[in-house]
Amino acid sequence: MKGFTHFISGIAVASFFPQAVHMASQEQSFILCLGGIFGILPDTLDFKFARYFHTSEFEVKPDPNALDAHQIAAVVAQSIEKANRDGRSSVQLHTMQLGANLWRSYTLGFDAKTQEVVVEIGPLVDTGQTPFVGTEPKEKAVARVKTSCTFFQEFDKKSNIAIMSGPCFEFIKRGENQVEIVFLPWHRTWSHSATLGLLIAVIVGAISYVVVPEGPYPELYTIPRWMLYPLIIFFGSMVHIIEDSTGFMGNNLFYPFTPDRTRGLGFMSAAEAIPNFFFVWTSVIAILYNLDRFRWAPEEFPAGITSPESFFFWFYAVPVAIMWYFFQRGKHEKEARRRPEETAPARVVDFDGPGEAERESDPSVL
Amino acid sequence: MTELLLHPQNLDLVYFCSLGVLFSCLVSFLPALHIYNVLGIFLVVVLGFEKAMTGMQLVALSTGMIVGYSILNTVPATYFGPGDESLSYYILPSAQWVALGRGYESVMLTGIGAMGGLIMLAAAAPVFLWILPGLKAITAPHIFWILGAVIAYMLLSEWPKGVAQSPSCWANFWEGWKFLLVGLATFFLTGLLGFIVMARTMVPLEFAFQSITPVFVGLFAIPWLITNLLNIGTIPPQHACKDIDLDWELAVRGVFGGFLGGFFAAFIPIVTAGVGGLMAGHATAQRDSRLFVLSFGTCKTVYYVGSFLLFFIPGLSLTRGGLAWIVTPMIATLTLKDYAVFVGLMLYATGLSFLLLGPFTRACIWLVETINYHLVSLVALIGTILLLYTYTGWGGLAITAVATGLGLLPVLFQARRMNLMGVLLLPVTVNMAGYGNDVLRLLGLL
Repeated sequence: MKGFTHFISGIAVASFFPQAVHMASQEQSFILCLGGIFGILPDTLDFKFARYFHTSEFEVKPDPNALDAHQIAAVVAQSIEKANRDGRSSVQLHTMQLGANLWRSYTLGFDAKTQEVVVEIGPLVDTGQTPFVGTEPKEKAVARVKTSCTFFQEFDKKSNIAIMSGPCFEFIKRGENQVEIVFLPWHRTWSHSATLGLLIAVIVGAISYVVVPEGPYPELYTIPRWMLYPLIIFFGSMVHIIEDSTGFMGNNLFYPFTPDRTRGLGFMSAAEAIPNFFFVWTSVIAILYNLDRFRWAPEEFPAGITSPESFFFWFYAVPVAIMWYFFQRGKHEKEARRRPEETAPARVVDFDGPGEAERESDPSVL
Repeated sequence: MTELLLHPQNLDLVYFCSLGVLFSCLVSFLPALHIYNVLGIFLVVVLGFEKAMTGMQLVALSTGMIVGYSILNTVPATYFGPGDESLSYYILPSAQWVALGRGYESVMLTGIGAMGGLIMLAAAAPVFLWILPGLKAITAPHIFWILGAVIAYMLLSEWPKGVAQSPSCWANFWEGWKFLLVGLATFFLTGLLGFIVMARTMVPLEFAFQSITPVFVGLFAIPWLITNLLNIGTIPPQHACKDIDLDWELAVRGVFGGFLGGFFAAFIPIVTAGVGGLMAGHATAQRDSRLFVLSFGTCKTVYYVGSFLLFFIPGLSLTRGGLAWIVTPMIATLTLKDYAVFVGLMLYATGLSFLLLGPFTRACIWLVETINYHLVSLVALIGTILLLYTYTGWGGLAITAVATGLGLLPVLFQARRMNLMGVLLLPVTVNMAGYGNDVLRLLGLL
């Protein structure tokens, strides 16, 4: 999901604590923001920290002056072979920068049917990934390197490696002569676990127990004031994990007790517009409803939402029905587009163009 | 509404609205100034219009100007540089289109987005009467933390750039983080500047209402003009296309996303179209560059015009944006009729501005192809500094000099220009939360 989706969902979760809403409106506390910050934190940890400290045994650093697709494919295939032999292996693919705003693109795909690593060197692109037509290399532009083992992956898409930092793949032996391909092995592991959320909550809880005083109106606080901080942090980070679980990549829920990421439920793609907006809209509605019902002195200040039934009907049920309609329509159109492609005999690899996720400006959708 | 607008007693409003749109063509050429400051100077100081006009005539003129400006300013911004943060958010992708000779197409896309946004704003106008009082009641005690959340998201959603290909993890880490650190430094330093400027203005008292102008000019305008002087070679021949590659689905998506961002920016104080557009773009998972450009057209227009529209909603008492503050002393009471007249004028100005967009863009293209671009930038830079000196004196120039240094940070280090909005976001949020005096005391300003 998009970073914003996680962020606003975290705030929505925090708004379910009446005491937190009270602290915000009456004591000028930023406590509700804490939910948002910890909602986006798992991706912050991955993309701002973890990615830099992951090391790979194999690196592909193509020479832009001596382009050779075979060289790239061979290194990736070598990494797969090593994983088949030793259990695990990973490869980091680098980009080719030619100027301040000029890059050479290439794609990497895995053809499970023919057990081949497929590399195609593409055109020059600018940083906005706009290709310069006619700049594709004439020689050594396409290569297929066969591996001795079979492989499978969560996403049957080819990766477009063009700008900034390239992706990393991990190969894990799964059974006899079979390797699993894991995209971005450093992503959605320890940072996306309930364990980390719990650990941070416990640390913050211990600190807040010592430093957070009782404060006014203790009778309103069925949950002690100090406990609000760890609870909001824990549920804020959990909502991120739950949202990510609806996609394909999944999470590693109980790291370090579970070694690998478990697959997501696959209801939707994390980069899709409607699912993202559904979560955002749900959060906005929840926040408004909670801020209103937990307002200070409800007997003195009239409600902003005079009829919750009509509020939920007009502002939630109707928009969600419209979103559902467009989501289903989009799904059917996508399936209809895929059908003729599936029957086409010449198409060996199920490439659906440069993976949209790789072109994403907000990496947290990955 | 047509009857209301075409009633003989209201025809002067149509005249003033048209005049406003025509003025906006001129005003949008004034290099790199924030819209409300430009209009403030223009209306109150330069023309002294408020002395010779009735309240509704001033409203009609302002409506024409703000609608015209919000649609037409894309053109000079695309070819000469953005005037404020809201425009600089759009200008980077737009510059790529200009580099490909597709500046005209980019402008027309924003124009379509703007028109869609204003039509949507007009359609939502009756609904606003129903929902906005409730929304205001709910959010009023929470604005400070909503701004806090906006700041948190702005800072957290900037992801590392750079090409990390070193064998050393730490070298790669530094490569990615240097951009983030510049972004953070920009935000907090501009925030500090905001505190100082708001507490101790160096602008002459008679122009104290424009005290933020030197800051904006320094943060957004001058760095862009300097960049133009240093970087830009020649602009490639621009193709004035006859049609645009756009389908209904894309248009609806762009307008919808942009409307959300623009409305958020209009409703929440201090939040600009750039910030609103970023959040709405992420909320609706926008990727396509056409979608971005179109959506931005909607977002900035809904932000500029929507914040003015809020002022006319009877009983809401919501004054957002400098233009609303300018007309406030002239309007004693607001009725449903005034609101309807405003919406009618807004639609009229939308149509007129959109019709002007094509010829205006072609005129701008002719200008950049005829006149030396460096010379235009140099003249604009000197003109801006002279204008600033005239209205704000040496004190204003001193503030601008500091702000220019900060404004150059994101340009030089490829960080987000949006971080420059720290100049307003940080002090206002801290003040609203009640900690402003503590910070001022800490800074020795109190």
